[in-house]
Amino acid sequence: MALAAASVPALQSLAHRAGIYGLLAVVLAAALLFVPGFASPTNLANVVTQSAALGLVAIGQTFVIAGGLIDLSVGQLLGLSVVLSCAITDGRSELLLPVLMAMVALGAAVGVAHGALVNRFRIEPLILTFGTLSILQGAIFAYTDQSVGRAPVELVWLANGRLLGLPVAGLVLLGFAAFAHLLLRHTRFGLRLLATGGDAESARRAGVDVARVRLLAFVLSGVGATLAGLLVAGRLGTGYPNAGQGFELDAIVAAVLGGTSLAGGRGTIAGTVAAVILLGVISNVLNLLEVSAFVQTFAKGLIVVTAIVATRARTGRGPLAATRLPAAGPDAG
Amino acid sequence: MSPLAASPWSSAGELLSRWAILCVLAVLYLVAIALSDAFLEPVYVGNILRQAAPVGIAAIGTTLVMILGCIDLSIGAIISFSAVLCAVLMAGDARNVPLAVAVTVAVGAAFGAVNGLLVVFNRSSSFILTLGTALAIYGLTQIFSGGTARGMVAPDFREFFNHRLGDVLPVLALSLLLLAAAVEILLRTTRFGRQIYLIGSNREAARLSGLPVAAVTFACYVISGAFAALGGIAVLARSGVSSTFTGRGFEFDALAAIVLGGTLFSGGRGTVVGTVAGTLVLFIAFNLVNILGFNYNLQLVLKGAIIVVASAAYARLGRDR
Repeated sequence: MALAAASVPALQSLAHRAGIYGLLAVVLAAALLFVPGFASPTNLANVVTQSAALGLVAIGQTFVIAGGLIDLSVGQLLGLSVVLSCAITDGRSELLLPVLMAMVALGAAVGVAHGALVNRFRIEPLILTFGTLSILQGAIFAYTDQSVGRAPVELVWLANGRLLGLPVAGLVLLGFAAFAHLLLRHTRFGLRLLATGGDAESARRAGVDVARVRLLAFVLSGVGATLAGLLVAGRLGTGYPNAGQGFELDAIVAAVLGGTSLAGGRGTIAGTVAAVILLGVISNVLNLLEVSAFVQTFAKGLIVVTAIVATRARTGRGPLAATRLPAAGPDAG
Repeated sequence: MSPLAASPWSSAGELLSRWAILCVLAVLYLVAIALSDAFLEPVYVGNILRQAAPVGIAAIGTTLVMILGCIDLSIGAIISFSAVLCAVLMAGDARNVPLAVAVTVAVGAAFGAVNGLLVVFNRSSSFILTLGTALAIYGLTQIFSGGTARGMVAPDFREFFNHRLGDVLPVLALSLLLLAAAVEILLRTTRFGRQIYLIGSNREAARLSGLPVAAVTFACYVISGAFAALGGIAVLARSGVSSTFTGRGFEFDALAAIVLGGTLFSGGRGTVVGTVAGTLVLFIAFNLVNILGFNYNLQLVLKGAIIVVASAAYARLGRDR
């Protein structure tokens, strides 16, 4: 009780400074100590396995959001990848590599389309990607309204298997995260992306090819989603058309909780991954405590709001900052 | 954009860009007439208005929030919750309707108040905060409804709202038009309305000039929540069904309508007339797909394509002025 009496403001300020890592540490410690069954190696591996797909999507989302954009289409794009990969391979391992390449190409193509449309027509990314969400959803259901095909064993292994005792999906996430981290922190592209997200006009004047940077950000987001689709396909074992529903919002929540600014210009891959793990731990704990799915939705909402308030995720420039979007051109002000 | 361009043409151009959505609406309607005679029948047009009422009414309230430069993603969840709550309170009896409607609107306003407080007192963006409250409200809806349809709609309630005035205009459609007119007048003639535009144009300047930024923001979210509740009641009046996911995705339909209607994400500009026109563009398009005999999947594709094409066309018109 003495700890609780250490006053809420003190805790809040601690949360503010430590941000997502502190929050993750506290929640993780509490779960390890107080939730029976959480600490078992199998369960911990499960948390990682179940978080991996969201992790890939959220990392892609981190690039677009840090670039001052947003991508709502990723959930349905993931769903399309699940359906197509299962339907095409139908369990045949020899088709895995071609399908893998096709899915990467699909994600990249959708990203190129987004980038081209935003650059050419200056459509608000939120509206544009909501439109493509609808198009992709229609495409999935025009193709099938029930589960189709079968995932090859390699995909199942990728999603559920173990390598040297570690969950393979976690290693995939780690690999993608490391690649993304290097890209964001140690390449010119990363620097230009953050500059574009921070202030597109200044970046343009400093010689950054803003259009190209935005296009690449959308490509990363699309590829993250289609790769995540392969993991989900492996986990489900079949092409379930609704598999991607809601991923887009969870991914945005994870990126923002992880410290990516919705105003653009700020974001880290490590923060996003920590937030994804945090969401995974919370959902796992609620499952272990046998909280009903309905109450879980409610709790998740409360936790998101509380976490945002507690860590004061730097999501905008002021109390009223909405998303900052590139199309706010000559009309602004 | 140079001062030299201040010819009569530029003002005509500005007029065109300001009312671009009305041009889009007119063109789409002409196309619809060309493709099907049904669009010439007043009854059919009344039906489209009635279909558009739930999203349109909710979008009216959210337009105020958007003019402020904020966003409200919780309205889909509030619509769902309101539909269930209103049906439960009504319990199939017409005598309960006034109370049910009043309580539902009050609860919607209360959700809006929570959003408003969070946005005013937290330095986070309204986007992510209202995304969080949307999740929480969906959870509440599921807990409350037990995951299935619950409550009973009074037959008289549905009959009243679907009754056609002069055998043409359903009361529900008229409600949309009246609410839109009321809020448009509020925006144009009252001090509160002017304050919304000023704060949306430049929040810092508004604050420095002593405008009650926090109070106005709070009030706009309350209005947005209350109108979302009215949207939920409209869903109930139209379909009679109160399921948990009635309003799922409505927030983005409403956003699309608002943005098509000329409201800027950055705030400071926008009209309710534009929002209603934007909603009608969406619903005429849906009806067109339907009447041409395409299935729901193609409707989804076309809905997306229309949103993309229309906002591209709009962004172009808006930029060229």
